[in-house]
Amino acid sequence: MLRRYPSLVPWLLIAPGFLLAALIITYPFIDIVKVSLHDVSRFGQLRDFNATGNFSRVFADPLFWQALVRTMWWTVLVVGGTMLVSLPTALILNENFIGRGVARTIVMLPWSVSLTMTAVVWRWALNGEFGMFNATLQSLGLIDTPIVWLASADTAFPMQVIIGILVSVPFTTTIFLGGLSSVPGDIYEAAKLDGATSFQQFRTLTLPLMKPFITMATVLNVIYVFNSFPIIWVLTQGGPADGTHILVTYLYHLAFRLGKLGEAAAVSLVMLAILLAFTMLYVRLVSRDEEEA
Amino acid sequence: MFKRLRIGTTSALVLGASVLGLATAAEAGNVRVKVTFYSAATEPYFKKMAEEFNKKNPGTTITIEMVNWDDMRQKLTTDLTGGSPPDISIIGTRWLVDFVADNQVENLDEHMDAAFKDRFIGTFLSPGQIQGKTYGLPIAASARALYYNKEQLTKAGFPDGPKTWDDVIAASKKMKEAGQAGFGLQGKEIETEVYFYYGLWSNGGDVIGKDGKAAFNSPAGVKALTTYKTLVDGGLTQAGPTSHSREDVQNIFKQGRVGMVITAPFLINQIKKEAPNLQYGITSIPSGGTTTTYGVTDSIVMFKDSKVKKEAWAFLDYIFTKDPRIEFTKGEGFLPTTKAEAADPYFTGNKELQTFVDMLPNAKFAPLVAGWDDVSTAVTRAVQSVYLGQAKPEDALKTAEAEANKGLGK
Repeated sequence: MLRRYPSLVPWLLIAPGFLLAALIITYPFIDIVKVSLHDVSRFGQLRDFNATGNFSRVFADPLFWQALVRTMWWTVLVVGGTMLVSLPTALILNENFIGRGVARTIVMLPWSVSLTMTAVVWRWALNGEFGMFNATLQSLGLIDTPIVWLASADTAFPMQVIIGILVSVPFTTTIFLGGLSSVPGDIYEAAKLDGATSFQQFRTLTLPLMKPFITMATVLNVIYVFNSFPIIWVLTQGGPADGTHILVTYLYHLAFRLGKLGEAAAVSLVMLAILLAFTMLYVRLVSRDEEEA
Repeated sequence: MFKRLRIGTTSALVLGASVLGLATAAEAGNVRVKVTFYSAATEPYFKKMAEEFNKKNPGTTITIEMVNWDDMRQKLTTDLTGGSPPDISIIGTRWLVDFVADNQVENLDEHMDAAFKDRFIGTFLSPGQIQGKTYGLPIAASARALYYNKEQLTKAGFPDGPKTWDDVIAASKKMKEAGQAGFGLQGKEIETEVYFYYGLWSNGGDVIGKDGKAAFNSPAGVKALTTYKTLVDGGLTQAGPTSHSREDVQNIFKQGRVGMVITAPFLINQIKKEAPNLQYGITSIPSGGTTTTYGVTDSIVMFKDSKVKKEAWAFLDYIFTKDPRIEFTKGEGFLPTTKAEAADPYFTGNKELQTFVDMLPNAKFAPLVAGWDDVSTAVTRAVQSVYLGQAKPEDALKTAEAEANKGLGK
């Protein structure tokens, strides 16, 4: 049969994986849609069907909109910052120098620590009374009195963004290093012979050749960062005065603090829709790049 | 690819089989007990109780599962939603209303007789009752009082601690002149709103009125919050209250970095262990005209879906006998909830704990109403925004009142 229909082969080959993925994704998805359309008790018992009641209650909550806007800032700032730090880091680590192996290991190390642990360590470091961060700034003479970083959203959120960047750098740098190693060295030699400066080389050779990797790193990071829960939850639980909630912490707060599972399900579907849009963008960007290549 | 898939399937099968294995074991007298983490002593205590009980009751196996307070409700939600609730669990008593509304917990009156009921101190048994039916037994009880640093408060002119909120302000001002932080103010995480309720209650206000509506936006509430704002704005608290959880404030009190803190009796045990040289006193919550304290119980409940109710009840019966109770309450630094404990010399002769016991007649308990968590969230946000200087007490409480009433369905 396979000989008669050779076009079936790829379908058959992906079928087991596809079925497994479909099973794993479909069941919770259907469940969450069901939950989002019902009144739900604190412990997940479905009560009356309420159509879009959960959604309209979420949309009527000013906290949701604040969290949505903050999620956008959070994603843009963390992913943007990560790119700005990772690209130069990758370029440096791609050069030949003594101790490169050690330097690469150091950059990768934060990756091996769980996100929650990193956040817990930072919670201690940022403590207003005895945190290492204040102690360091004071001994460098940058501040006179200790700053209570997590006491106000104005100082807490920027710190969370910085920590977010810090933990995203290893992954992104790895992708970039992989990309750089696929760039042939002889074109740089040719460019040098033609008298191109290193900035020109970067702009006209490195950047275009790295483009697919930058696209991939951006979109993957957007998905990770958008959904990232531990940093904000561990540091401030979305507070003080709900000033640092992003959608995922707002969702957790709704579900497990207030017991509004229906509304939480609605928020998670909204998040899914946003991420789906990003992912479709990603698929389009990738396939366009492939066509160009 | 295929090979990996097969390994995946095999391990899934193995996993499935082991889950099934657990499930069958559960049928044969295995009692799952979910316990919250109170202190380092909690797990050893319950493990020991389980072991002793298992020895006396062959055929029954008690399994203890430790969970952090912050995660307990999420864990139970997941367990119940997934259809595999534990047999017994410790819960915050104020959660009972949701469990009962969902018909998830067992009415314990069916299991106990009058003699069993009589073991308990009435004040602590009633919070676990809804419409006359007992759903939760008081595993832990506490009240709140003000701890003060003797040395610092003596210098500030209050050797016996502050009696009123004006005293607190006066003492904190003196301490500020000496370069010390006076009043320890909790401003984040669990019970942030309760710290405001201390002031609210002591000024004669209440959180929820008799009509079931939010009542904290009252002259008493505004006065209490204004007092706290005065303390924050005057630099009379520790720096950055909104970055201090209950534990954070307790810790700086132990280190002598703050002069006063309102909290539960378990701080006595912590100080004994971690700061034995700290000279401190305990007095009632500062008065604004009314003497008050916050009474809190944690309940232990049995789930309706349990297949081993008889064995589970036997275990509950056991841990509420005299010796296990004394060991628990002593180890954790709580207040006795059974009469046998309270009569023990350890408690009758303990002056510090007695301060708490004496306040119990004036204790306020969190009412068992649906939407209590919405009230807590709204009030927490309001007081935090006042501490941060983002809102005035009147406006913040008014906004919170509207939100709270929405949560209460009024």
